Amino acid sequence: MDTVNFVTRRLLMMIPTLWVIATLTFFMMRLAPGGPFLAERDIPVAAKEQLMRKYGLDLPLGRQYLRFLGNTVRFDFGPSYKFPQRQVSEIIREAFPVSAELGAWALLLAILLGVPIGVIAALRQNTPVDYASMAAALIGVSVPNFVLGPVLVLGFSLTVFLFPPALWQGWQSRVLPVLTLSAAYIAYIARLTRAGMLEVLRQDFIRTAMAKGLPDRMVVFKHALKLGILPVVSFLGPAAARIVTGSIVIETIFAIPGLGRHLVNGAFNRDYTLVLGVVLFYAVFLMVLNLVVDVAYTRLDPRVELK
Amino acid sequence: MTRHLFRALLPLAFLAGACAPAPPGGARLAATSEQYFGDVTPPHDDTFTYNNGTEPETFDPGLAVGQPDGRVARTIFEGLTVPDPQTLEPRPGQAYRWEMSADGLSYVFHLRPGLVWSNGSPLSARDFQWSWLRVLRPATAARYAGLLYAIENAEAYNKGTLADSNRVGVHAVDDSTLVVRLHAPTAYFLFLTQFYTYLPVPRWVVERYGDRWTRPEHIVSNGPFLLDFWRQQNRFEFVKNPRYWNAGAVRLDRIVAYSVEELNTSTNLYKAGVFDWNPSGYIPSQFIPYLRHYKDYRHGDYQGVYFYSINVTRKPFDNVWVRRALTYAVDREAIANDLLKGSREPWGNFTPTGYPGYDHPPGITYDPEKARECLRRAGYPDGSGFPRISILFNTSEDHRRIAEAIQAMWRDVLHIEVELSNQEWGSYLQATTALQYDVARRSWIGDYLDPNTFLGCLISGDGNNRTGWSNPRYDALLRQASVEVRPEKRMALLREAEALLLDESPIIPIYHYSTNELVKPYVRGLYRTALDTHPLTGVWIDRDWRRHEAPLAGTATERP
Repeated sequence: MDTVNFVTRRLLMMIPTLWVIATLTFFMMRLAPGGPFLAERDIPVAAKEQLMRKYGLDLPLGRQYLRFLGNTVRFDFGPSYKFPQRQVSEIIREAFPVSAELGAWALLLAILLGVPIGVIAALRQNTPVDYASMAAALIGVSVPNFVLGPVLVLGFSLTVFLFPPALWQGWQSRVLPVLTLSAAYIAYIARLTRAGMLEVLRQDFIRTAMAKGLPDRMVVFKHALKLGILPVVSFLGPAAARIVTGSIVIETIFAIPGLGRHLVNGAFNRDYTLVLGVVLFYAVFLMVLNLVVDVAYTRLDPRVELK
Repeated sequence: MTRHLFRALLPLAFLAGACAPAPPGGARLAATSEQYFGDVTPPHDDTFTYNNGTEPETFDPGLAVGQPDGRVARTIFEGLTVPDPQTLEPRPGQAYRWEMSADGLSYVFHLRPGLVWSNGSPLSARDFQWSWLRVLRPATAARYAGLLYAIENAEAYNKGTLADSNRVGVHAVDDSTLVVRLHAPTAYFLFLTQFYTYLPVPRWVVERYGDRWTRPEHIVSNGPFLLDFWRQQNRFEFVKNPRYWNAGAVRLDRIVAYSVEELNTSTNLYKAGVFDWNPSGYIPSQFIPYLRHYKDYRHGDYQGVYFYSINVTRKPFDNVWVRRALTYAVDREAIANDLLKGSREPWGNFTPTGYPGYDHPPGITYDPEKARECLRRAGYPDGSGFPRISILFNTSEDHRRIAEAIQAMWRDVLHIEVELSNQEWGSYLQATTALQYDVARRSWIGDYLDPNTFLGCLISGDGNNRTGWSNPRYDALLRQASVEVRPEKRMALLREAEALLLDESPIIPIYHYSTNELVKPYVRGLYRTALDTHPLTGVWIDRDWRRHEAPLAGTATERP
């Protein structure tokens, strides 16, 4: 089956998936106690009624749901309930590039460091180099980012002022959050690469290549690495998704104006429109990434077929 | 041993460096002295940078609620009166003088000649009239509309029972004269006119752009600064308004107000010298005992009270003796001094300190004997037969620790079983509003300097009551006070109401809020105030601050 066909079918399959996600999110938001216009300081009854009417929250739930579906099809989520001067689409447009940039740097760093570490560890299997890099990787995976972030801040911006402790202005401010976010991924990618390489290095065609007298460098980079990093490639899809959607802790610690914070705050504030908009946006983003990975896989490994 | 080490290190890791001692050196930190918390190098231009905190929901003055919203609104708009930066007493703002009638029922405000909006259009008394009526119009759905109820017929118009806005007591008799008629003498009316709900808004912009009129590309304002840049969850930038009537007195060229919610992050940014001011509420409470020793830390009373409210519609809390037992069994001193390390004041009253002319009734004090006696009179001698009750609080480390302490106090003193119920903010609000709780953690911050801003919450059926408590005598006392012209008599009525409230105990006062803020020594003209309000008009950067380092007025560490 050709790629175009495959991609089209997968894109069409996204529609029912998105419908299910939208419906679940819609009703789960409504099930949560409270509402968008509840505050520590009471809102006068008249004012609350006025707001409910304005946003159509006084309608029966079924009609609200239909209205929401209709708006979603038109990609119109309306204004945020909490920040009425801003449209949800506008918030996503402004905040997502920030999360995406943070995630992209972190992922790039993870690949640039993780793959070489994994390759070296595999080539020097069961030597101190291997043990040291795998021990470091274990620490990288185990230390949660809400610990690593503050420790980096303590070391590099408060004890010695090398980088600002937070915010998102200028390249210096990117260093600590990117490092914090990528640490776990560097470690994970290093372990995956090592495992993948070890498996490939034991295979017959590598032995043949060696026997033919090809230089080690050539064997490793030309033949082994291409297959050895396949596990990394399949990890990249979910990793990219997780890194972009899961940077909420980093965004909070470093006060980065990304989309993750909007989603979490939106849920706390019962900002129905904002949460629905961001959830659907993330859903599309995740599905597209998975699709990209599947297609990329076939390019790297001819044994894999698109079905 | 390992476990202890782990437990010792974990909070350290969380709190990051803000609790580290002043760093030893380094080029950037050269100016740091042991007496200050972090970098004290002034900015090289007249830019003032601070943390405005949680992203404002809106800074439309008529709709704003809460400190971060209000700070932005007040920076770009100005009302008839403006608060004095030190005392918050009303000073002339857009109005240069005013007269009050002998019966205290009407005010005539005279606007300065030649006032203009930031786009050059003239600003007149009609703008004020329109803005106030806008807040009151039911369709506006302004949460703080109640602050305008001092005005004749305002409440009826806001609640929709009066349709004719002409009968509301605010009228522009000509371009520069605004006549306000009150429904009862209101001692604090001039404090209200400086509050953000009373600020003027540009009618033509509001009507043209609706909810989006406050965006930087549309907004027109009349205050000392203009909104130049806004990025959500990041920052606001304000520049000096050249058309402001007193532009000559404005010394800052630019203000950068960040929206950093995280307390540790905010304090770190202050320490690193990014923020010149870390306002109250953005310092983790665990840091306070440590920060006390620094000259740039300021501390004082704040008009807020932390209390527990009791749902009197549930059994056994309908019994006043049960409520009294609970309140006498709370050791406020232990909570404030031991648990919170003295960062708060133990407090046994509902109204906070600092109201001119108000003399508090005696507060509740810890009295285990009396508590047990009350419980016995309620019919539960030594706690026997008392049902299991629960304390509701919203997610926060401090709320949890206080709830645990009170759980232990009630168990030890009254021998009753108490469970804790932690809910996230939205669910907690729903539970307290719908009276689905036994005892709930709450707090209240005053809006103006008068006990009414607290006592008014517990009037029968008030939306902020949230205890189900209703007492005709209490309501009558507050009603009487609201029409009382003589200030001493009025305060006496309010005092009687508070005494009654404490005796009836639908609420359990716990501690008094404090302001805790960090201000760089080179920032001048920014003072600590009782309402934690900080007009930025007169703030300036003193690059020569070392020369007169001896505490200048307002930059000194103030202790109550």
